[in-house]
Amino acid sequence: MNSKSMLIEKIVKRTLWFLLSMLLLSIVVFYFARLAPGDPLESYYGDAVESMTSPELDAARERLGLDGPIALQYVKWISNAVQGDFGMSLKYKMPALAVIAPLIGNTLVLGGTAYILVFVLATILALFCAMHEDTWIDRIICKVGTAAYYIPSFWLGVVLVLIFSINLGWLPSSGAYDIGKSDDLFNRIQHMILPLTVMILSHLWYYAYMIRNKLLDEIRKEYVLLAKSKGCTKSEVVLKHCFRNVAPTIVNIMAISIPHVLSGTFIAEAVFNYPGIGALSVTSAKYHDYNLLMLIVLITGVMVVSSSIIAQFINEAIDPRMKLTEVTAWKETPQTPLS
Amino acid sequence: MEGNATDPFVLVGANYKTYESAEKKISFWQQIKGMPILSMVILGIIILGCIFAEQVYNHDPTGFYLQNLNQPPNSEFYFGTDSLGRDIYSMIWYGGRVSILIGLLGMAIITVIGVIYGCVSGTANSRVDSIMMRIPELMNSIPNLLLILLLTSVMGTQNIVKISFVIGVTGWCGLARIVRSEVRQIRSSEYVLAAQCMGSGFFHIMIKHLIPNFISTIMFVVVSSIGLSISMESTLSFLGLGLPIDVVSWGSMLSLANKALLSNSWWVIIFPGVFLITTLVCVTNIAYYFRKETNKRESYL
Repeated sequence: MNSKSMLIEKIVKRTLWFLLSMLLLSIVVFYFARLAPGDPLESYYGDAVESMTSPELDAARERLGLDGPIALQYVKWISNAVQGDFGMSLKYKMPALAVIAPLIGNTLVLGGTAYILVFVLATILALFCAMHEDTWIDRIICKVGTAAYYIPSFWLGVVLVLIFSINLGWLPSSGAYDIGKSDDLFNRIQHMILPLTVMILSHLWYYAYMIRNKLLDEIRKEYVLLAKSKGCTKSEVVLKHCFRNVAPTIVNIMAISIPHVLSGTFIAEAVFNYPGIGALSVTSAKYHDYNLLMLIVLITGVMVVSSSIIAQFINEAIDPRMKLTEVTAWKETPQTPLS
Repeated sequence: MEGNATDPFVLVGANYKTYESAEKKISFWQQIKGMPILSMVILGIIILGCIFAEQVYNHDPTGFYLQNLNQPPNSEFYFGTDSLGRDIYSMIWYGGRVSILIGLLGMAIITVIGVIYGCVSGTANSRVDSIMMRIPELMNSIPNLLLILLLTSVMGTQNIVKISFVIGVTGWCGLARIVRSEVRQIRSSEYVLAAQCMGSGFFHIMIKHLIPNFISTIMFVVVSSIGLSISMESTLSFLGLGLPIDVVSWGSMLSLANKALLSNSWWVIIFPGVFLITTLVCVTNIAYYFRKETNKRESYL
C-alpha cells in the first residue's frame, strides 16, 4: 500500500513538473517568436499588407492576436490554448491544431516502427557482440558501426534515394503513399522502407554499443562463474542470466532515447518528404510560422514525457530493485560515441 | 670491486655502485604508438588543403561556369560541376574552411558554456544545483533538432557565427552534466578548500584547480563536439535552414542534393559527402584516443 501511494506521489510530481516545464517552454518560445524578425502579418497576408489601411491592419492584428504588449498576448494565447485553440497557422491559414492532427499519426507510425526495430536489432547485435567479445567479428562490427553512426543521416537518405529509387527504380523516393492509394497497406510499407533504413542505420550502433558495454560489465560478475560451473553453456549464461539483469537498463535507455529517435524521425521525414510533423516543423521554421512550431514543440514534449513515465512503470514491473528508487533521466545518458 | 662470495664483508670504495636513472629516453615511435596516426594524417591533409585552398583549387570556387552546367567528372573539372555551374573540386577545398571553422566555433561555445555551467552547478549548494540541473533536463526533453529549428527560425538569415551559436547553445547539456559530476567529486578536496581559505575567487579555483583535474575526462566530449557541429551545420544547410547557397561550405553544397537527384548527377552528392564523412570519422577516431580505457577484468565467460 505504501509503495502504491509513493508511486502516485511520484506520478503527480512528474506531471506537475511536466506542466511547469511546458509553461516555461511556451513562455520562452512565445517571447522569442514575437521578437523575431519578419512580420507575422506579412507571412499571413503576403503582399496584401502593403495595400491595407491602418485601421484594417489593426483589425487584422487583433484577429491574429498580435496586438497589445507581449505579456498580454501571451496570456491571451495561453488561455485559448487551454481550451484547445492554439491559434492560426500563418502559412496554412487554418487552425494550427487542424494542420497537425492528420499528420501526427504518420509520424507516430514511422517513429514507432523505427524505435521498435532499432531496439530489437540493437539488442540482438549487442548480444552477438558480447558473446564474441574481442574476436575479429566483434571488432569489425565495432568499427563499421562507429563509422556508420557518423554518416549524417540526411546524406545517407539522399544516397539511398539515388541508388534505390532513381537508378534501380525499386522503391518510391518520397511521400507516405501514392495518390489515391492511401488505404493500400502494401503501398504504405513500400514508402516506409527507405526512411526506416536510414533511421535504423543511423541509430542502431549508438544503442547497440551502449547495450554491449552493459553486457560486458555484466559478464564480469561473479554469478557468471557460478552459472558456468553449474554447466550452463555460453549462450545460456548470456541469455538467461546476463540479459535479464541488463533488461531494466535497456528499458531505461529506451526511455531516454525518445527525443533522439524523434530527432532522427524529423530528419528522415524532411529528406523523404514524408507527411509528418517533422517535415512540417522544417517548413514552418522556414516560413516563420511560430504558432505551428510552438504546437509541435508542445506535442513533442508531451510525447517524450509521457513515454518516459510509461518506461518507469515497465521498469518497476520487470525489476523489483527499481521500486522506491528515483530514476533520473540523465544518469544513463551516455556521452558515448555519439552525442 | 673486490672480495668474493664467501667473504661476508665487502670492501666498498667511493664508486661501489653507480646508479643509472631508471627513466629511459622514449623514442619518437614509442611516443606515438597507440595514437590514431592514419586519422591524424588524413585529417591533416584535409585541413592543410583547406587552409591553402588558393594553391590547391584550379577554378574559382565562387565562379559560375555557365557553359558547364552539371558536367560529370572530367579532366577539367575533377569532381564535375553542380547545377549552377560551379566547380565541385575547388568548392570542396574552399568550403572546407567554413565547415571546419563552424566545427571549431561550435566546440568553443559548447566547451565554454558547458564547463562554466558545470563548475557553477557543481560547486553551488544542493538547492541551487538541483535547480540548475533542471534546465538541461528540460532542454533534453525536446528533440535537439526541434530546438535548433526554433532558434534558426527566430534568428533570420544565417551566417557562420549565428549558426555556430545556435549549435553551441543547444549542445552543451551533456558536457555540463559530466563536468558537474566531476566537480562534485573533487570540490571538497583539501587543495580546493585551501585555495578557498586563502581567498581565491571562483574563476581562479576553476582554472587552477578544477579544470586540470577533469580535463582528461571531458576531452572526448570536447573533441567529438567538433564533429557534431560540422554534421549539424550540414544537416541544417541541407534542410534549407543553414547557410545560404552563396556561402560555400560542405553543408551548403549538399543543399543542392535534392536538385541533383532530379538530374541523377551523383557527383554533386557523393564528393562533398565523402569529404564530410572522412573528416567526421577522423575527428571521432582522434576523440576516442582521449577516452580513458576503463581497466577491464577478465571475462568470466
